[in-house]
Amino acid sequence: MQSNLVDFIQVLRSHDIRVSPAETLDAIGVTTTLGYSDRNLLRDGLAMTLAKTPAEEVIFLDCFDRFFQQDLANFSSEEVPNKQDESKDADQADNAAVQSENFFTSQISTLEMAAKSDPSLKSLLHTPLMENLLNNNRPELTLAINAAAQSVDLQKIQMFTQKGQFTRRILDAMGEEQIRNAVIALERAENPALAVLQRFRDILRQQVRDYVEREYLLHAEGKNQQFMDDILSKTRLNNLEHIYLHKVHELIRKMAKKLASRHAHKRRHLKRGQLNMAKTLRKGIPNDGVMFNTYWRQVKKEKPQILAVCDVSGSVAAYSKFLLLFLYSLQDILPKVRSFAFSSHLGEVSTYFDDYPVEKAIELVNWKYGGATDYGNSLMDLSKLALDDINSNTTVIILGDARNNNGDPKLDILQSIFQRARQVIWLNPESRRAWGSGDSEMLRYQSACHFSAECNNLKQLERIVDQLLKSTR
Amino acid sequence: MHTQHFPQLESVELIEQGFEAFGYICSRKIATAVFLAFQLRKPVLIEGPPGVGKTELAKTIAQLLDTPLIRLQCYEGLDEAKALYEWKYGKQLLYTQVLKEKLGDLLQGAIGLAESVEKLHQFGDIFYSEEFLEPRPLLKAMQQDKGAILLIDEVDKSDYEFESLLLEILSDYQISIPEIGTVKARTTPMVFLTSNNTRDISDALKRRCLHLYIPFPTVELEERIIRTRVPNVTEALRHQLVEFVHSLRQLDLKKAPAISETIDWARSLLLLHADQLDAELVRSTLNVLLKYEEDIETADSELRSLLSTRSSDKRTT
Repeated sequence: MQSNLVDFIQVLRSHDIRVSPAETLDAIGVTTTLGYSDRNLLRDGLAMTLAKTPAEEVIFLDCFDRFFQQDLANFSSEEVPNKQDESKDADQADNAAVQSENFFTSQISTLEMAAKSDPSLKSLLHTPLMENLLNNNRPELTLAINAAAQSVDLQKIQMFTQKGQFTRRILDAMGEEQIRNAVIALERAENPALAVLQRFRDILRQQVRDYVEREYLLHAEGKNQQFMDDILSKTRLNNLEHIYLHKVHELIRKMAKKLASRHAHKRRHLKRGQLNMAKTLRKGIPNDGVMFNTYWRQVKKEKPQILAVCDVSGSVAAYSKFLLLFLYSLQDILPKVRSFAFSSHLGEVSTYFDDYPVEKAIELVNWKYGGATDYGNSLMDLSKLALDDINSNTTVIILGDARNNNGDPKLDILQSIFQRARQVIWLNPESRRAWGSGDSEMLRYQSACHFSAECNNLKQLERIVDQLLKSTR
Repeated sequence: MHTQHFPQLESVELIEQGFEAFGYICSRKIATAVFLAFQLRKPVLIEGPPGVGKTELAKTIAQLLDTPLIRLQCYEGLDEAKALYEWKYGKQLLYTQVLKEKLGDLLQGAIGLAESVEKLHQFGDIFYSEEFLEPRPLLKAMQQDKGAILLIDEVDKSDYEFESLLLEILSDYQISIPEIGTVKARTTPMVFLTSNNTRDISDALKRRCLHLYIPFPTVELEERIIRTRVPNVTEALRHQLVEFVHSLRQLDLKKAPAISETIDWARSLLLLHADQLDAELVRSTLNVLLKYEEDIETADSELRSLLSTRSSDKRTT
């Protein structure tokens, strides 16, 4: 059972629940204290040690139910398509099994009749697999499937494409081959027992298929989710299909949360720094060198301020959604963020982000500020709105492709911002090779930035924000 | 360090019954958490919306086991001087005064500074000793001979640094005092931490605790709670008011009414000699249930539909 528990914890981990070895030990402690007799009690107890948030608890309960599913494989004589319903309603199936017992015996006798003329079928009937099937010995068959699954390492299933392959391997391991051969032999002989044997074969196959399906959901679903997330965060944002949008939402939220938990914890600075010996001595001179008062080096408290400016024009339409989403989450994390959006003119959008939920806010911003790009005009607006507030504690982030439709770039304004601000960061969704080509003013603007980077997938975005947050602390 | 044996905590069922005797109706999950906490000697981190009985749980266990309840209310700026221990500075000052007077007697016959210092070292130094230690809640809980219930209330309100301070206590039931050494708990206390989830608790702290989430109760459970807490309310009214509170929780409110509010409401209805809910009565007593003006307005506008759906339910049953 202990190894079973460890398997279960592996499953939890693949579903994004972090379980440390210490917690595994706790879980073992819980199982030994509570015992295995009461399923609900055990579930609640394990949930307390393994799931640490209400959200994790939901995932836990789901996994628990799937992993410790107690249904036995069902081989009664009902028709194959009904099988799925039966697993939900085991009692009913039991009744059906009793009723059909007579029908069963008649079928067995048919097979035995046929076996008299066919030696291979005769030997088949005496294999443990076939005996169990004929007697509808469900516990034994379930055990056999489990054992076969173990022997072919079903737990390592990764992709849904492997399902068929694993089903076949399990069937082989159980010795289904003999049944297959017997079916072929009966077919050749045109024996009436053929239908009966075929039915047993189909039941077996269906059961194994269901079993593989269940295990796949348990072991591979979580891994696939991680795989998908990984791929999504590395894809260029403008290449993402529309259907993945909500997933990206989720990812950005996750990312923002991760960054927030890493950086939200403010390090409390001691107000008093080191003893300022020189000043203390100097101030002591009027008192004949007696140092009445001590003087300390003050720790200067910095209040980081961030101005985020985002291009929402048509040329970056594919990105602006993500960039705004990112701005929105940024405003949640950092205390002093002012957000601006522009295409032909520029305006402050912080209030939208404060007042509305994310989708609504993004829609409003796009509607109000979307259009053709004019960087020169927008920079002028920015300097009117915020230049006075930019000081040595301000970080200015500009998100845009720097394509100015051949207008006046007004580089001098960006330069004055560059001189005042602590840092100016330009994040450009275009790849570095395209910078400066056509109407792109990126190379010129770059000269007035402390740091410029291409930023077109979530991984890059995360890395840059992380850096940013570190430097603003 | 030894651990107290409590027959009251032998099984989950016993705990449930014991709690009920003290008027605390709990779900199976809560009883399981208490059972595990006792068996595995682990602290329990209780989360849930305000007013679902997180603090009450610790109080009830203290009553059930007849052990002292030591409570530490957390707040921003709570530090070790207020949570762990402090030196009795006044007494220490007096001690040095006394020492000064006695110094002549003590150093009698010592010639030279070196010898005096050596002689001084031979006396036991009690300046930093347990006599001058002022125990604060956490240390006090470690010093109880018969075990104690330690309730660290609203741990999410405390600073990040304070959480790290708790780690040693929660995993090893000991406190390190630099001047003295490690103080181990005489009897392992049962520790309960509560959190309203205003911020995320660190993983290190979570790892050391059993995690118990107390949600709003089901209708049946809440009716049982009202029955034990406010026994004079008639059966019909009890059902009505609990149903009403449950439908209130479905609304989009700033703060949904919790069990404590339901109990208060039941009490006030009892004072008003009500035996049936009607719109007028509910409207005039809504401020017992809801604590924000906006919420009261929202509920007020929905009142008709809330009450009518409930009465139609009743007709069909």
